Amino acid sequence: MQQNFLLKKEKLNEFLTALSKEAKVFVPALNENNASCFLPFKNQEIFLSKRTSFSPKKILLPPLEKEFIFRKKSSSFKIEHLLDSKKRVFFGVRSCDTHAIKALDKLYLEYFTEDEWYKAIREDITIIALQCSKSCENGFCKSMGTNNPVGHDLLFVEKEKSFFVEAASERGKQVVQKYRDFFNQTNFIKPEPKLKFGKKLETFGLKEILDKNFSHKKWKSEAKKCLSCSSCTQVCPSCYCFLSFDKFILDSGDSERFRAWDSCQLKRFTKVSHNYVFRESRESRLRQFVMHKLSYFPENHGLPLCVGCGRCISVCPVGIDLTEIASTIRGDVK
Amino acid sequence: MPKKIKAGFYSLSCCEGCEIVMFDLEEKFLKVLNFVEIVEARLFDGKHPKEKLDIAIVEGCVESDVDKKHLLEIRARSKYLVAFGACATIVGIPGIRNALPLEMQKKLKRKAIIPVKEKALPLSAFVKVDALLQGCPAFTHEIIDVLVKIYHGIVPSLEEVPVCNECKERENPCLLFEGVPCLGPVTYAGCKALCPSEKAQCIGCRGFTKDGNFEALREKFQEMGTPKKEIQNLFTYFNKDPFTKEEGEK
Ligand code: SF4
Ligand code: SF4
Ligand code: SF4
Ligand code: SF4
Ligand code: SF4
Repeated sequence: MQQNFLLKKEKLNEFLTALSKEAKVFVPALNENNASCFLPFKNQEIFLSKRTSFSPKKILLPPLEKEFIFRKKSSSFKIEHLLDSKKRVFFGVRSCDTHAIKALDKLYLEYFTEDEWYKAIREDITIIALQCSKSCENGFCKSMGTNNPVGHDLLFVEKEKSFFVEAASERGKQVVQKYRDFFNQTNFIKPEPKLKFGKKLETFGLKEILDKNFSHKKWKSEAKKCLSCSSCTQVCPSCYCFLSFDKFILDSGDSERFRAWDSCQLKRFTKVSHNYVFRESRESRLRQFVMHKLSYFPENHGLPLCVGCGRCISVCPVGIDLTEIASTIRGDVK
Repeated sequence: MPKKIKAGFYSLSCCEGCEIVMFDLEEKFLKVLNFVEIVEARLFDGKHPKEKLDIAIVEGCVESDVDKKHLLEIRARSKYLVAFGACATIVGIPGIRNALPLEMQKKLKRKAIIPVKEKALPLSAFVKVDALLQGCPAFTHEIIDVLVKIYHGIVPSLEEVPVCNECKERENPCLLFEGVPCLGPVTYAGCKALCPSEKAQCIGCRGFTKDGNFEALREKFQEMGTPKKEIQNLFTYFNKDPFTKEEGEK
């Protein structure tokens, strides 16, 4: 079967409306404060011009997730697990974010031997990737080798007044078949936009260089500016750390277990018994973020954890930029 | 269910807005009454004054010797004391006078109806405070949280998390990029970034964190072109000036 199609841009919302009838569809759009992020599709204008300021991570890993309820019985507890399995579609996921999803999968499905909450959400997602036709502010996906989407079901590439559509998986083919009326077969070959990037990160030998320069003065000088606001980890599509806590349900003996996003930029992140904080200094916290992305995770899991989306750079109020940190340290290596 | 805990609500110098917030709990308030007995509160039906308490919830700051005496008396008969709202936790609005030029402070003192102390101070300057309910006014969900926790024998503690953390969770654009000086990076979270979500800067009503990088934030404001006076006002609006260290009264 021919696997390439065209979908007219003017038909996009109609197509998404059709998909909405059987799944919860998330699209890049502007929120009430004019920030670009992934929102439930409500036939609003789709934000196609740039990568979104916020990633689709929050759907896979909700910032606050109720995991289970402990119900008090006379002499024991009954535990009720709360799993959120639904049919979902992510439209317009850019290449960097598909790689971030791959990293999350690696962690939550393999390393944590199938985290059941993540798995429940992840299992039934159709990913419609959108190939970037121009580079984005602060992005450096090309340096990270994350500039071509992975793990998606359909690939959309803008082509004048249409999208060039490639069915990349069985699931993707089924979508095209089911909504055949929207798609025209085409003999065009896939457009390959040539992107020029303002930002680069030389990754060759980087891990060794960073490891050897653990006490480089750059960490101290950057930490002096850092507000420890945690915006960088909050917007990063692949930051996955969480904390757990329990909450009593008002006026009953029952309680609830939650998990919520945590951030290595906060002191509580490394608080252990006797309130000891082992990454107390700002310097050690900032370094952890960069080292985890560029050294520890690639070493432990064989893939980059930084997917080069540039969001942490765009969001940082004081201009801290991990590519600049890495290149300064590299530049000092003789 | 085990015995109810006994609680009292008290006001020192403040607008008493935090106590009013209790009414926003609506039907949840009735649920609270299932495990909390309110024995003393001017706004509610307090019947047994001067009892021993499990928990005293005190709003307002200490402006006078009357306040101080009242606070020490409440502390003496309470197992836990919770500072309720910005005035009690960080002096807040009444504390603005502390940062005024001495001449103006003197003038204000002369105009006061009762003799006031040199400075307005938070509860912690005089007594041990077990838990904080931050904000101007305090937040209903946190009031319930503290009551439920103490009922179960847990004393809540503060986490060093700034407003920005919740601001980004809510997917807001950052006001610092629009030239608006925002105190989010140095202020305790918990309000779900209420003000920045409405495009207004955080003015620090929940108190400054211990971890805040005040120098770096001030530098950022200067770089943005915020006038010096405005920066000074902002840092001393709700909170004690983070750039001058001084001993609190004990
Ligand atoms: S966003 Fe910038 S200032 Fe904030 S914690 Fe990250 S590096 Fe530090
Ligand atoms: S570390 Fe920064 S550039 Fe890398 S994936 Fe995270 S937000 Fe994007
Ligand atoms: S980092 Fe690359 S894939 Fe991601 S939005 Fe930018 S150009 Fe596109
Ligand atoms: S608007 Fe204020 S609270 Fe929000 S991220 Fe920016 S500095 Fe932080
Ligand atoms: S954003 Fe700041 S000023 Fe507004 S409620 Fe929260 S802590 Fe208070």
